[in-house]
Amino acid sequence: MKVLVTGASSLLGRSVALELAKRGDSVTCFQRSSSDTGLRDVRGDIRDGAALLAAADGHDALIHVAALVAPKAAWSEAYAVNVTGTLNAQRAGERCGRFVHISTPSVAFNDAPAVRAGAEPASYKGRDVYARSKAVAERLVLQRSEVPTVVVRPHLVWGPGDTQLVGRIVSRAKQHRLIVPNHGRALVDTTYIDDAASAIVAALDHARAGNSACNRAWVVTGADPRPVAELMCGILLAAGLPPTFRSVPVPVAALAGRVADRFWPGTEPPITHFAARQLSVAHWFDQRETQRVLDWSPRVSVDEGLERLAGWFRESR
Amino acid sequence: MFQSRRGPASRGLDVAPTPDQLRRWGLEPRWSRLVTFTGADGATLTWHVLDTGPGPLGTIVCVHGNPSWGYLWRDVLRSLSPGWRVIAVDQTGMGYSERPGPRRLSDRIDELVRFCLEEVNGPLVLAAHDWGGPVAVGAAASLDVRALILANTAVAKPDDIRVPPLIAVARTITALTCASTPVFVDGAARMTARRHREALRAPYRKASRRAAIADFVADIPVRASDPSWAALARSAQALASLQCPILLLWGGRDPVFHDRFLRDLRRRAPQAQVERFANAGHYVCLDEPVGTVIENWLVQSLAEPPAATAPPASLKSPSAVAQGSTPLRSVLATLEERSGDSSLVYEGPDGVMSWRDLASRSTIAASALQRHGVRPGDRVCILIAPSVDLLVATFAIWKVGAAVVVADASAGIVQLRRLIKGAAPSHIVGTAATLAAARACRFAPGARLAAFASLPGVTDLREPSKGPEFVAVINHPSDVAAIVHTSGATGPAKPVRYTHGALAAQRDALSDLLEVERGEMFTTSFGPFMLLAPVIGLGFVRPDFDVDKPRELDFDALSDAVAKGEVSTAWLSPASAEKVASTSAGRGIDLRLVMLAGAPIPASLVRNIQAITKGEVRAPYGMTECLPVTDGADPLAKGPLGGTATGRPLPGCDVRVVALGDVQGPALADGEWGEILVSAPWLFDGYDARWSADLTANVRREGRRFHRTGDVGYFWGGGLFQLGRAQHVIRTADGPLASVAVEAPVAAALDRPVAAVGVGPPESCALALVIGGEGDVRLAPASLASAARAAATHRVAAVLVGQLPTDRRHQSKVDRTRLAAAVRDLLAGR
Repeated sequence: MKVLVTGASSLLGRSVALELAKRGDSVTCFQRSSSDTGLRDVRGDIRDGAALLAAADGHDALIHVAALVAPKAAWSEAYAVNVTGTLNAQRAGERCGRFVHISTPSVAFNDAPAVRAGAEPASYKGRDVYARSKAVAERLVLQRSEVPTVVVRPHLVWGPGDTQLVGRIVSRAKQHRLIVPNHGRALVDTTYIDDAASAIVAALDHARAGNSACNRAWVVTGADPRPVAELMCGILLAAGLPPTFRSVPVPVAALAGRVADRFWPGTEPPITHFAARQLSVAHWFDQRETQRVLDWSPRVSVDEGLERLAGWFRESR
Repeated sequence: MFQSRRGPASRGLDVAPTPDQLRRWGLEPRWSRLVTFTGADGATLTWHVLDTGPGPLGTIVCVHGNPSWGYLWRDVLRSLSPGWRVIAVDQTGMGYSERPGPRRLSDRIDELVRFCLEEVNGPLVLAAHDWGGPVAVGAAASLDVRALILANTAVAKPDDIRVPPLIAVARTITALTCASTPVFVDGAARMTARRHREALRAPYRKASRRAAIADFVADIPVRASDPSWAALARSAQALASLQCPILLLWGGRDPVFHDRFLRDLRRRAPQAQVERFANAGHYVCLDEPVGTVIENWLVQSLAEPPAATAPPASLKSPSAVAQGSTPLRSVLATLEERSGDSSLVYEGPDGVMSWRDLASRSTIAASALQRHGVRPGDRVCILIAPSVDLLVATFAIWKVGAAVVVADASAGIVQLRRLIKGAAPSHIVGTAATLAAARACRFAPGARLAAFASLPGVTDLREPSKGPEFVAVINHPSDVAAIVHTSGATGPAKPVRYTHGALAAQRDALSDLLEVERGEMFTTSFGPFMLLAPVIGLGFVRPDFDVDKPRELDFDALSDAVAKGEVSTAWLSPASAEKVASTSAGRGIDLRLVMLAGAPIPASLVRNIQAITKGEVRAPYGMTECLPVTDGADPLAKGPLGGTATGRPLPGCDVRVVALGDVQGPALADGEWGEILVSAPWLFDGYDARWSADLTANVRREGRRFHRTGDVGYFWGGGLFQLGRAQHVIRTADGPLASVAVEAPVAAALDRPVAAVGVGPPESCALALVIGGEGDVRLAPASLASAARAAATHRVAAVLVGQLPTDRRHQSKVDRTRLAAAVRDLLAGR
């Protein structure tokens, strides 16, 4: 099968591309810079619909991973990449005949704890431009799917080489700016990178006409929920750092986040309002239906993943 | 046209419930209709009914009392249709029915019979409330009734009961209270929740519409000269002779038809099954979801109609069957045999008593009880702490053929009152202090009081009879011997009924288990077990400590008790055993046998007690409903799934382990865990006045009655291992986990108490471990968390640390429900 993967310069995109290649699929990577996968690269911007359509020519499926994940991005910028870019990808996917869109559980975030939750509707309308633009994109994708389409929402993807979650935790800890709301008590699901990639490949295999996975969003996790504090400490220990963080009460964290959203000069504030809210309530999911329908299950437990992460840190030091 | 318009008005049919009203009251407008039939005098009579329409199972005709109407049966109408056709009638002159003029009880009975013959085809069930009761019972005598349901009613005024005050007042000034003013209607409507009041008052807005209410009250016969006295007496007779299944639904907080009326009904219809709702009032049908109870009851009781000659269903117990041929030694036999024995049966801080004294003093007390109106089958509540007097009172009550009601004072006065009131004793035996409390708090309104003291208005049980010699009543094995209560550690305490047959079988099982030899003495920290000693034939030494506080039995108190008599055997609660162990300071007590029971016993406690006593330590399995179940031998035995070793089932006791919830399923193989079912000749008779609880806690299989213990466990090598409570099973997405099996390896590795709880939806929990420690429950530090995970045999979502909440009473069982709620909130980020 010939598959086009967008955003393969990210950890998740690259992992998906390599997973497909490993099992013998012919993979093309589409992104602005080099994917560093050793696979066929087409350089281009997701906002350029014509370029993407051209790149998709001759492929059987499109997996759309590319997204802008920047806490301080402008709405116009986020909209251009995450909404317009997704519509471009969908059009290209229609040309291919099968489409997999990578979304995020944040699109359904509503301040309430999500305990053994399913994939709730993408109804987020808050201030976080990433979550909001991804919510708009997901709604548009599911509204108009002319070819078999599966939406996957991997929850908190992490692993060796991850610059989003692991990278931010480690760099903030090094700057002594790691803040966690409410002692990190909330129970959250995470997804080890290998499992996220295999789930997306499984989703691609189910993006077939008449398949019950189609035209729905699926939350994907490692089904091994842990308290936030334990994950943070595990990651810090893996990185060879002391397992400490500063706990602040939820309202303080939320306020600090709101102030940082507004006034933090750089692109990487120590906390955002959205992150403060999200890390203070439980987020773990009922994976029974997902695993059954996608015929997939995670292989890497949190403990196993942390060991691999520690090994990676040791090697890269 | 003009005629027909004025006609209904004069007959009271001009007022009808509107569809909007009916919908607001939770009734379907199509149910409301008028039925015209021929009355007793040949004239036509029109009734308003709420009729749910055809149902394949049969018809339930519901009869309200005074002052209410068919609305009362709202829950029955809604829950039992369309399987059943439910017709809630408005009696003549009441609700939205015709108002032709005064009716007497006999007229009302006659009208109900005619209505049923006219309207109902197929199986008929009658349900009635309040003064609808005598009407329905009277009608049942002339109809082919399959089942009868009565709620807070009476068919006679028992001799010892005054006319209900509300009725008495209403009767003297009926016109004023009932008809010309809405006082009676409003007063009655206030006896239930506010949301029902509009509907209850609606048909009685105008004085002219309330005439029948006054007539109804005036018709209540209170003396033989009253016109309806004979009709009421006929209803009372009819109830006694009815062969159909009877269900009594009862609100425990009814000032009108209170528990003494329930007692009277149970005496008249001993086969009746009872569902008493302690917190419901007069309008029990509105206060509680009675529809579900009725539905379940009809399924059960109509499936196997009891044969006319069979003993009442409520009295059937394995013991009665098991002892069919061999004559049973009664629980009084040992005392009779030793009535000349001057050796001690009791030794305690309050004094000593010989077997001979117990025999003679209990006879004197029994004759005093008999003179003061205790009859066989009555219930007598004992409010005496373990002492000489407690033993005398208990045997006296059995000698007079009554049942002993035992309630635990440590549960607090509110709970104590609830338990005693629920048992509805006719007499209370107590001390000056407890009788004062019983009076002040109205433990059992109307009960007569007795004590081993001379107190004003109280029978003195020490007063010898001047009449002929007292002859002890011979108790039948199926007679009720005792009402005890579940501990309430894991939910509201339930009344547990024991027959004489079961107690006698229990005595035999216990004396085999304890290998009792004559002359041995026994001590215990369990209040109720103190009564068992003389029944078994053991003398009893009461340690000097507050029995309501098992934690206060320390080494010295136990040691003193053992030294005082020839005590060879002790039965300790886990809390007492822990206290004894922690205060022993290296000293020892010489005992032949120590029994530990009451909660799963940790191995460390067994070892500590073994070290102190040098005797055999056993931890048998049992519960209030069935004790003992196993022999408790080898409490340190290990099984493949962990848990507490309880030894082998006792001879005569059947134990089955079945898959969770699959009570009719096959017994599981060794090493497979599931729900524990037990059956024994000494199994309890049932939960008293708790028909629904009985239904769920007992199951018939293999031709016997088994009790669902609510515990989980497994067999291994013939031994039964307990894995905690079924309600504490953690149902994860990967399958159910028994909490104890999850906790044991972690607790052993960390040498700290551990509680496993589930978080998340009940059917797909994530597992959290709480390590016992100081302070509020919080996330465990990283090192402790990883140690716990390393020891755990299952995937753990979160490890926490903090003080484990225990139940208030035993302080030995971790309150997992409370803990789970706290952990759930914490991990949700709240």
